[in-house]
Amino acid sequence: MQTALSIAMDALAYGMALFIICIGLSLTMGLMRVVNLAHGAFAMIGGYIASYAARDLGLGYTLGIILAMIGTVIIAVPLERLLYRRIYDRSELSQVLMTIGITFCVIGITNYFFGPTLKTILLPAELARSVDLGFRSIAGHRLFVIASGLVVAGGLWFLIERTGFGIHLRAAVENAPMARTLGIRTEIIYAASFALAIGLAAFGGVVGAEFLPIEPYYALRYMVTFLVVVSVGGAGSIPGALAACLLLGAIDVTGRYLVPDFGNFFFYLAVILVVCAFPRGLMGRAE
Amino acid sequence: MPAAASASRTLGRDLLGLALIACVGLAGYWLFPDNLAFLTRVISVALLVLSLDLIVGYCGIASLGQGALYGAGAYAAGIACVHGITDPVLLILIGAAAGAVMGLLMGTIMLRAHGLPQLVLSIAIVQLLHEAANKASSITGGSDGLSGMSPAPLFGLFEFDLWGRSAYLFGLGLFLIVFAVLRFVTRSPFGMVCRGLKEDPLRISALGIYAFPVLLKMFVISGAVAGMGGALAAIATQVVGLDSVSFEISANALVMLVLGGIGHLYGALIGTVIFMALEHVVAAINPFHWMTLVGAVLIAIVLFAPRGLSGTLDELVRLLTRDRWRAGR
Amino acid sequence: MTKGFLNRLLPASALALAGALALGASAMADTIKVGIIGPFSGPFALQGKNFQAGAEAWLAQNGKSVAGHDIELVYRDLPTANPQQARALAQELIVRDKVQYLGGVYFTPDAMAITPLLKQGNVPLVIFNAATSAIMTSSPLVVRTSFTTAQTTTPLGKAAVERGVKKFVSVVSDYGPGVDAEGAFKKAIEAAGGEIKESIRIPLNTTEFSPIMQRIRDAGAEGVFAFLPSGPPTLGFVKAFSDTGLKKAGVKLFATGDLTQESDLPALGEAASGMITSFHYAVSHDSEINKRFAAAAEKAIGAPDLLSFPAVGAYDGLFVISKMIAATAGKQDAEKAVEAVKGLGWESPRGPVKIDPETRHITQTIYLREVAKDAQGRWINKEIASVPDQKDPGLAK
Repeated sequence: MQTALSIAMDALAYGMALFIICIGLSLTMGLMRVVNLAHGAFAMIGGYIASYAARDLGLGYTLGIILAMIGTVIIAVPLERLLYRRIYDRSELSQVLMTIGITFCVIGITNYFFGPTLKTILLPAELARSVDLGFRSIAGHRLFVIASGLVVAGGLWFLIERTGFGIHLRAAVENAPMARTLGIRTEIIYAASFALAIGLAAFGGVVGAEFLPIEPYYALRYMVTFLVVVSVGGAGSIPGALAACLLLGAIDVTGRYLVPDFGNFFFYLAVILVVCAFPRGLMGRAE
Repeated sequence: MPAAASASRTLGRDLLGLALIACVGLAGYWLFPDNLAFLTRVISVALLVLSLDLIVGYCGIASLGQGALYGAGAYAAGIACVHGITDPVLLILIGAAAGAVMGLLMGTIMLRAHGLPQLVLSIAIVQLLHEAANKASSITGGSDGLSGMSPAPLFGLFEFDLWGRSAYLFGLGLFLIVFAVLRFVTRSPFGMVCRGLKEDPLRISALGIYAFPVLLKMFVISGAVAGMGGALAAIATQVVGLDSVSFEISANALVMLVLGGIGHLYGALIGTVIFMALEHVVAAINPFHWMTLVGAVLIAIVLFAPRGLSGTLDELVRLLTRDRWRAGR
Repeated sequence: MTKGFLNRLLPASALALAGALALGASAMADTIKVGIIGPFSGPFALQGKNFQAGAEAWLAQNGKSVAGHDIELVYRDLPTANPQQARALAQELIVRDKVQYLGGVYFTPDAMAITPLLKQGNVPLVIFNAATSAIMTSSPLVVRTSFTTAQTTTPLGKAAVERGVKKFVSVVSDYGPGVDAEGAFKKAIEAAGGEIKESIRIPLNTTEFSPIMQRIRDAGAEGVFAFLPSGPPTLGFVKAFSDTGLKKAGVKLFATGDLTQESDLPALGEAASGMITSFHYAVSHDSEINKRFAAAAEKAIGAPDLLSFPAVGAYDGLFVISKMIAATAGKQDAEKAVEAVKGLGWESPRGPVKIDPETRHITQTIYLREVAKDAQGRWINKEIASVPDQKDPGLAK
């Protein structure tokens, strides 16, 4: 029982870390219909900025996170204007290629400036400590990740379902020309949600760095995982992404505990089964 | 234009195209006699990209898992060779068979979904196979690679040696045959139906054609072609590594295909040759910037030449010959 | 315009012609080419850079000519394990670039793809890294200056049991070297009277290790043996080990030095402190010759914290090649060259080493090290004990 609880705790933390990184991708893919394989690259940029701020400049973790989010968005916005804007209504294949291209460039440039070694993000003392939960001790940082995941999920749901911005966004997604005639400035809506997605990627890259360490090949190494998780959840659905992350996180972690030898088998088998059973993802929107 | 004239004209063009490929191939043999192992590798990868074109370009199915078919062929040929079947022609056939079986399997699974989920299925399949090949290390050699194969001389005469002449000419011959057959397949009514399914599935189904078996058939053909590419690699290299059944090789194949232009068999060939030649030259000069350069090229292609190099070439030719065309009609 | 262009073109082509002539001339003055294949780009680029740094350090210290023959290094990039590409590169180096020696090679399958070419090409291969025992049996023209996983792992078993740890769990990545390490450690532990409670193999790309830590806890282990590729998996493992409280509970962590590669130590830092590893080389090794080597190699690689073990493999590899050149008087004779270095012993930056005449693999001292801070506050692999004259047990009959 204790073991089960303990594994559940790990699965939850891992799933939440995945969720924070992937939810931005789910938004771009579901709402803006862009298969942004460079999402991981932005998460990585966030991680690098935070690492630089917290480690080399000594600014601390919180400031590091904020700088990472702002910095990554500042890097991403010109890319949106110059590159992404041209592939919004192109085929998935073009989008995949362009974003793989962006990923390659980001990796090459990062490698040039920061070198090929691993970068860690200095945690504050409160998060680095182990917390005793009675049945086990867990790193404070993991609790922080779980809490952040919940906040992100709740906040996004509120933003999209309950605010004016959310209404405009959904309108722009459903029928852009109609939304424009109604006076909604769709480019601004798109740019804003793109920035939101990128900001979340950066946030995820930083808080998830304990699970997925920051190094130049981060962007490529986890690209497949992110894409798979989002597709399983159903692009654009927040509850879907949450469910997919928790499900796949749980399968991954439990599989690794029970039969570590075959860890990846379970993960990908689960993916194949889910996609075959729910071709639009767990909670995908009907086209 | 009368149908017979048109048919003979396309036949003539096909023959011309094949002759051209053969000439370029032989020119490569004379011009770069010291790079034949590399050129053989290009042919093997070109078969992979060609097979991907059948699925992506002719059926509109996005796949990032073509390595599964290539790897199946490579490992089947490699394992057969280690166990004493050493005739190269037979090994190619074994590779083709293994690729076809894998294509059948992969198609059955992948055709259940569309669009992005389909792409994800292809990735999941190639990753699963990669794991399986790693796990079954007693058969496949795992991450150390399958080694210790020594294919018999081709037709009992030409050895697969250091200089790689026989491997290259063998590969070139194989490629020409496959290319000719595929030209025929894509022109056939079956190929037309596939194209139709890509352009307008609704209309095709209104004609009373059920898509699944048609697409599955193309998957099997594609598997056989990719399998032959893998088998050729196994024969020429005499080692099969886990990289032959990987996401990376699949993604690279897709990049080369799009670079050349999808939906043209020539595009697949051009894309492979240009990409690999660039990689070979640029990576030798400055390996470090290679990745950034590929990235930039990809972005440029998507922005400025969305139909790939061959598509852009086509357009150019059309622009230049527009007047003559009109006169001809 | 046209004229200007021509004016610029003419001197350029004249220069090129002169260059070609000069090249031809220097070839007459006997330049021996050495092809070095390694991962100079991609995820393993750091290892390739270390090859380069080690080789260039040797040239910087010993000059660019051996017994009157100039040495020219030709680098070829092979980013990941890809036997097909490895064969193509090696073939091209032999046939077109006419190299007399091949060196480098980071991954085992690549080495396996190259060995069949050696006899026909009349070229010896000096392996700077690829660490599977079986490579040596695939061709008599292979010499290795790195290590094998079994070689570095075996002494660790005895040392661990001597530290009073009896019950172990071994955790290895599920690939060739990992499986080798698992086997070698198990054998060594059982020979020393310890016990392996559980052997866990995990997929290569794992970075989240909490469930594994739970298994270790369940098994009631006193010690853990780990073998993972350096980089993200190692960082994840070491972090999880300390985060889940296993480290505090007094469980000892043992590993081979692959995990605590010097370039990763700044990132591993505190979490890895006290970890005990066994390996053939630490950058901090205390000897005069190593200090000189490290200074030269650091200069070649650019930043001091990038230097790690592949560099010493390359450095000694070039030493071996220089001996081969001297023994054959610059003539291309692979068999004679290999014959000449069988039994060759010398003082390497890592300590005394020798090429075993039977296996052509390097016999060397294996050190026991602890991750600790040095006087300047840098994390290092501090050598605490040494086990001299270790052959490769994977090849011993």
